[in-house]
Amino acid sequence: MSDTAAPLLEVRGLGKRFEPRGARAEGLWAIRELSFAVGEREFVTIVGPSGSGKSTLLNLIAQIDAPSEGEIRFGGRSIASPTSGALRPGWERQFGYVTQDDTLLPWRTLADNVLFPLRVQGRLDAETRERARRLMQAVGLQGFEQHYPHELSGGMRKRAALIRTLVYDPPVILMDEPFGALDAQTRAQLQADLLKLWNGGRKTIVFVTHDIAEAIALGDRTLVFTRAPARVQSEHRIAIPRPRDVRNVYGLDGFPELYERIRKELA
Amino acid sequence: MILAGRVVLGIACLVVWHAAHLALGAEWISSPADIVTRTVEIAIDGELWRHTLATLTEATFGFLLGGGAGILVPFALRLSPRLTAALDPFFAAAMGVPKLALAPLLILWFGIGITSKVMFVAAVVFFFLFFNTLAGVRSVDPRLASAVRVLGAREWTVTWEIAWHTALPYVFAGLKVALPRAISAAVVGEFIAADRGLGHYINNARAMADTVGLFTGVAVVTLLVLGIDTLLERLQARSLAWQPLTRDAGV
Repeated sequence: MSDTAAPLLEVRGLGKRFEPRGARAEGLWAIRELSFAVGEREFVTIVGPSGSGKSTLLNLIAQIDAPSEGEIRFGGRSIASPTSGALRPGWERQFGYVTQDDTLLPWRTLADNVLFPLRVQGRLDAETRERARRLMQAVGLQGFEQHYPHELSGGMRKRAALIRTLVYDPPVILMDEPFGALDAQTRAQLQADLLKLWNGGRKTIVFVTHDIAEAIALGDRTLVFTRAPARVQSEHRIAIPRPRDVRNVYGLDGFPELYERIRKELA
Repeated sequence: MILAGRVVLGIACLVVWHAAHLALGAEWISSPADIVTRTVEIAIDGELWRHTLATLTEATFGFLLGGGAGILVPFALRLSPRLTAALDPFFAAAMGVPKLALAPLLILWFGIGITSKVMFVAAVVFFFLFFNTLAGVRSVDPRLASAVRVLGAREWTVTWEIAWHTALPYVFAGLKVALPRAISAAVVGEFIAADRGLGHYINNARAMADTVGLFTGVAVVTLLVLGIDTLLERLQARSLAWQPLTRDAGV
């Protein structure tokens, strides 16, 4: 974390309780007393046991869901707390969100899906179209523009979902195990694509995964979460120099030691 | 291969029909040839077009009125889930009213002209589209809606983009049932009281013990329904081209 400037994104004492169902009177805390900060242009990865509230956290930051306690601050101002009123998903396009689920629009072609955010934001012009075209080319989607999502492979759909968020250039991108369901080859290719795109125009990224190797290979810093209710158990700076070769993470300097340490914490 | 099979089956049907005509006599079963001759006759003297146009006009206006409301009301109800829940039993009760029994009442209210038939068609069509569209609107994937909101879409876009596209296959399923019913409803309305229309033609033929006329009327109505169904299939294939395996899924 950069200690010099104020963090871009800050989570303070955050808690989320899901309403009780039936006899369980207390409800379930997915997150409680969770605090951390993310600096501008920082790539933060979060690992934790499955069911540890990682997706809930991203839903709260993206304002798809409201916190039960605590607050989320962005650029020095409070944007979400139990009393902050109506949800504003994406906080006025400041947060991009690449989810675990496939959320491409099945009735729109690949090109229309990628251009969709520009269209609804009223920003579709020659320049942004060109940007979309270059992004599609960068991840090898050219030639598939007129295909519908069901005609594309899982890896291509993930690329399209990633590009759909990058195309409108939100300052912060939240990613929830975006490459989870892919085979190892495709996954490594997408990780490499992501790092290449990130190096090209550094964004602030909060990347959730359950894969320790992925967390280390991609991030500047890794937060390890506890079981639910989630809190930060420990944090690790990733000193491995960039650019990194994600296809050979195990050979990266300092990787094995870090991997072992995090693995033991999660055990 | 399929086409050849269809032709053979079609010819077989005509043969059985003709055999029944010979066995039972012309006063009970008209021969296919007589029906074709009659159809050509009334096509030439203009009677066919006059009646068909009247029935189509009633069905079309009734369909636009009832079908339009049946599609739009569920989208309006989307704005208030609580109102929808409150109204649920009332919709079910209204669905339970036998629409055919309403026809005499509608004629009492709106007279024997086109208005009563339009209203009758609208009442029949509304419920088919309403319940189908409501089911479609309710099956919107909340994750898709959230994703689109994060991308900067306003509520209006969410309705148009997500709810409409999600509901569209349901709307087509409703249309598939409702369109033939619209024609049937117009014809039934004409049975009861009318001075034109295919239902009037059929009823008139019955009054004059004109078996060929009865069969001809039914045949023309059947062809009309088939024609409309074909157009609907085309429209559906175009509108839902994005769906994987539309054919299998649409059964």
